[in-house]
Amino acid sequence: MSEPSRHPKPASRHPKPDLATTTALAASRTKSPAMSPRERNTTAPDRTIEVRSPAPVTGGALAANDLTKNYGDRPALAPLTLLVPIGQRVAVVGHNGSGKTTFIRMAAGLLDPSGGTVHVMGHASGTSQARSALAYLSDTPAFYDDLSLWEHLEYISRLHGVEEWDQIAADLLGHLGLYERADDLPNTFSRGLRQKAAVALAFVRPFDLLLVDEPFVGLDAAGRTALLELLDQAEEDGATLVVATHELGYVEKVSRLIALRDGEIVHDGDPTGTDVAALVAPPA
Amino acid sequence: MESAIGHDALGDLRRARRKNRLADLDWFEAAYRVYLVAFAFGGTALWASGFVKDSKVSGGTIADMFRHGPAIVGMTAVVALAAGLRSGSRGGPLAIEEADVRHVLLSPVDRRHALLRPAVQRARSAAFGGALVGALAGELAGRRLPGSVASWALVGAAVGANLAGLFIGGALVAHALRVPRWAATATGVVLLAWQGAAIAKHVVGPANLDGSFALWGMRQRGADIAGPAFTLVLVVVGLMLLRRTSLDALARRSGLVAQLRFAVTMQDLRTVMLLRRALSQENTRSRPWIRIRRSGRSAVTWRRGWHSLLRFPASRLLRMSVLAVGAAASEVAAYKGTTAMFLVSGALLFLLGMESMEPLSQEIDQPDLMSSLPHERGDLLLRHTIAPMVALVPFAAIAVAAVGVIEKSAGAAAVAAVLALPTVWLGAGGAVVSIVKDAPDITSAAVEQTMLPPEMSGLTTIVRMLLPLVVSVIGSAGVLLVRSAHRAGSSELGAAIRLAVAQLILCALVGWWVRRRDQWRVKIKGIMAEGRDATAQQRATRAQSPRSTS
Repeated sequence: MSEPSRHPKPASRHPKPDLATTTALAASRTKSPAMSPRERNTTAPDRTIEVRSPAPVTGGALAANDLTKNYGDRPALAPLTLLVPIGQRVAVVGHNGSGKTTFIRMAAGLLDPSGGTVHVMGHASGTSQARSALAYLSDTPAFYDDLSLWEHLEYISRLHGVEEWDQIAADLLGHLGLYERADDLPNTFSRGLRQKAAVALAFVRPFDLLLVDEPFVGLDAAGRTALLELLDQAEEDGATLVVATHELGYVEKVSRLIALRDGEIVHDGDPTGTDVAALVAPPA
Repeated sequence: MESAIGHDALGDLRRARRKNRLADLDWFEAAYRVYLVAFAFGGTALWASGFVKDSKVSGGTIADMFRHGPAIVGMTAVVALAAGLRSGSRGGPLAIEEADVRHVLLSPVDRRHALLRPAVQRARSAAFGGALVGALAGELAGRRLPGSVASWALVGAAVGANLAGLFIGGALVAHALRVPRWAATATGVVLLAWQGAAIAKHVVGPANLDGSFALWGMRQRGADIAGPAFTLVLVVVGLMLLRRTSLDALARRSGLVAQLRFAVTMQDLRTVMLLRRALSQENTRSRPWIRIRRSGRSAVTWRRGWHSLLRFPASRLLRMSVLAVGAAASEVAAYKGTTAMFLVSGALLFLLGMESMEPLSQEIDQPDLMSSLPHERGDLLLRHTIAPMVALVPFAAIAVAAVGVIEKSAGAAAVAAVLALPTVWLGAGGAVVSIVKDAPDITSAAVEQTMLPPEMSGLTTIVRMLLPLVVSVIGSAGVLLVRSAHRAGSSELGAAIRLAVAQLILCALVGWWVRRRDQWRVKIKGIMAEGRDATAQQRATRAQSPRSTS
């Protein structure tokens, strides 16, 4: 006779996912009122930003001014100034060690800058307003050892002030193919399932700006498709997306490409017609 | 003003985690751990009691205690505060789970609210530990000093908690104010120097009130309360400033502290030292102090060793120098009659050796790489000790200089010059034993070890744990023989030369053990396997004639 489960089966407790409502799901996650692509194009500033603007940049979803980071005596990010307007979809590319993760982590407030400032939706990075507006999806997910995936979804939603979270959580798990694993501990998952669980945690709460670091690592084809659909939907609903990635295929989906090399911006503009492979090649 | 979003959710999250943890808790194992801790603490108390005579101290001694005690005991308070400032400037004292950093501290929940409980828990556990040690010290003091043992134990507990509070409060405030490391170190040095002057020159020290509070077992002065009151204010200010805690530091420490606790549990000293360095952000220099020419024809292992040693940061070289000076001072104290100080010297030399043996440690940390090389592992390991041993020569010179400064005698300096290098090398020999014994067993047979009965297994663990320290202490104990020669009227220098030769022979034996260890293990395992086969054969024979014994 098998040992009874400590938790009831998901089906007995959690709402069933409504797979037909992925659109509604993402729409409910973004905090900004949805803008049409046309509206975004008219409200967004020029996308080819001056790489080293002499004047500080303000406003937008993400504004970095003279942002630097040094690890000991080694500079990881040269003074970087850029503005990401609300609703823009940006890819950050670069070779290993180019400063992508450093930039994303500083924008998320997880890393103290050595110099300069970062603002999220007009608020200094790390403030409660900035944290409220921002979702961060890391390439190295972190979970509690003693909470199931369902419990993670519950508490993270509620920590962000979402009380009606259960249907959203069920829909997300259904979309990512994790519904049957809702009562398992995510720390026992495989690499790919952990990444899917992290995606669910990033999308279960509302956000204006989504910072993503290497989101496709470990995902199978279905997982990649599901994540791309969620990202597409978030963009349609007016969220700003900044994705650091080595997946050159993803660059086709963005309206702005930022390439870093040794901590400096070497390209910032429309990806169309850009030789991305050359941009991400490590320095000789 | 931060919002109150998610406060209920945070409370529910913690309750759910507690409930899940309790559901998975093995109560028998938890009770056994409590028993072990109580047993160890009780054992320590009984053992320490043996050092304290039961006779009461004289009135003159008590007068001396009133005169010098506050400054001397106050030094412990200054050390605690300086250590706290240093810890805070490096991201301490909090260490929370990575998931808490990512999910709770990146949410709009008020950070002070989120961090208050871990910070109070940290302060509480530190205060409890300090109070426990303080109560033990108070109980021992109460045997010889006027006043009841209970009152001394109570005062000791309060003093211990006060010291812990100074550490935690100092760390919290330094962290919140983002005090730079140099400023924290400088403040600590100034405070230590000031308190040192209070001891030596009888000026009013910064922590004299804390020290005077420690004498409450026999003298109560209302003004002394100011010391613990300052500590309380420091802790409260630290807790109020929690909102300014750096997420960067918490994220960095979260993973490291979990590993550190595991390494301590596994008695893995090498990993503990590595993680401690990572926690204090002591990074290896990306550029060596001196560049080694690539075209050199010297041995690869020799060059590899120097590539590692020349990247030591200045703070590490300074620490190694302090260890050498500390060991020298302890040897002088042992020579002058405080015999137990040779143990302190041995421990310091062991740590100095652990620091210097970085190239060897790095090779041990890459077992696959080493086993892929077409060389005997023992030979390779031995070769990796040569550069670090040479690198210890300047530290032996520092130790000789320290003895010269302390003793101000050419004779003492001459003895130190003869003994320093062999003693430092034998100290490092203990470190080599510690590092090499933890290397993966290439003859691989963990099964045989698990077959040992628990009593034998426990004994083996203790021997394995203490053996490296014993090797280092054998080196530092040499000073006692020189002292005996002095007391017997023989030549100290002659005794030192004979001793140095013996120490060098012991160093060579350690080297021989490193080189031959794998071969010996293979032989021992072969013998054990033969024994097992023979036993199995005997059993099979007995089984074939079952009626013969009935």
